[in-house]
Amino acid sequence: MISYHPDSRYLTDFATANLPLAEAVCVSAHLEFCGKCRAHVQQLTDVGGHMFARLQPEAVSEDSFAALMARVGAGAQAPAPVTVAVQAPREDVDDTAQSNVFLPRAVRRLVSGSLDKLRWVQLGKALRVAPLQVSDESRETAIYDIRAGGRMPEHEHRGEEITVLLQGSFSDADGSYSRGDFVVRHAGEAHQPTATMDKDCICLVCLERPVRPRGLFYRLLEPLVNYRLQRLNRSVA
Amino acid sequence: MSSSDDSNIGSLRKALAGAGPQGAPDPWEASIRKVALHQDRAEFKKLFDHYAPMIKAFLSKGISSYADRSLAEEMTQEVMFKVWNKADSFNPAKASVNTWIFTIARNTRIDFIRRNGRADRTIDIEDIWHEADSPEPVVELQQRRVETMIRNAMATLPEEQALVLEKAFMESKSHNEIAEELALPLGTVKSRIRLALSKLQILIDR
Repeated sequence: MISYHPDSRYLTDFATANLPLAEAVCVSAHLEFCGKCRAHVQQLTDVGGHMFARLQPEAVSEDSFAALMARVGAGAQAPAPVTVAVQAPREDVDDTAQSNVFLPRAVRRLVSGSLDKLRWVQLGKALRVAPLQVSDESRETAIYDIRAGGRMPEHEHRGEEITVLLQGSFSDADGSYSRGDFVVRHAGEAHQPTATMDKDCICLVCLERPVRPRGLFYRLLEPLVNYRLQRLNRSVA
Repeated sequence: MSSSDDSNIGSLRKALAGAGPQGAPDPWEASIRKVALHQDRAEFKKLFDHYAPMIKAFLSKGISSYADRSLAEEMTQEVMFKVWNKADSFNPAKASVNTWIFTIARNTRIDFIRRNGRADRTIDIEDIWHEADSPEPVVELQQRRVETMIRNAMATLPEEQALVLEKAFMESKSHNEIAEELALPLGTVKSRIRLALSKLQILIDR
């Protein structure tokens, strides 16, 4: 049961394609789990379609159609859309094995098909992180894998954080979250997510800026963590 | 979903939409179908004459700040090229022709902006803005009713609400950009857009 959804700003900016790319990836991932938000995006897109149909037309140059048909006639092909095998979310599938995790299309593309191929960085016992390259410099995007029953270091956000749960569930002081949920944390909010006992929790996370761990140990670790992530980013890029 | 399911939903939706004068069948659906099945150039010319000037108008609104007019012309041709190539993927059960072509123009525009900005492409626009698996039929039916509602209610919006919708959907501006341009708090822009959407019976909880 999905309880946390993108608000009207996210959905509208998504439908008008005005959302920063990393955030759009998160909304797109949520939509594959949530028929209601998908229907809202369809409605919003219809609004666009209606407004589009009422625009004052602007004449195109006279040879435009001929030029286009010359291209068509030459057998030119538009850049073929990447076809990814359709894989529907299934409630009845045992998704405890990592290779069985249902991945929304945008995520599947970013991880090159499988989580196993990612370059994971272990951060403490309970958490490992794999950065993703999303051509969006305002955000950092990553897959987080919190071990079943594991607890992340308590951390405070310097910027907005979006989390989309891809598998498992976690809870913090404010609530508990399960697959498909779209959870937003704002700058200044601190929390300490804990994965439930039954399975690993895998999340898509998009951060405005790096989070700042609160405990002394992690504060000491932070420069190292940043260093390791940066080095990894460079080697991936 | 099989193609017969699709056509069932399509005919259901047409039956619902056929209630009023505005529910008349979309004449452009047949044109798209002829392009898809027979590569019918005469029908495509009709589509081009109708839609290309609208596409150019849409793209001009979005790009005036960073490019010249010839770019709008070039991108318009790109959009119509995609209409030709993708005609067989058009599904009248999912969207009207207007909405379908709007989404192609929207994606072409964002793709262009991104390619201009950076060379590295780790993900395609169509991996993000794609048609996910079809929602349950019940959702589809509600959706069609809403589509008619949008058509009727759009004209009755107060000016300040119509303005923010225009900026978001046609000028391709985010909530933040609209807030900056109109010197309004982000919360005000958000509530104006939400109010406008609720008048169009798009009731987003948050």
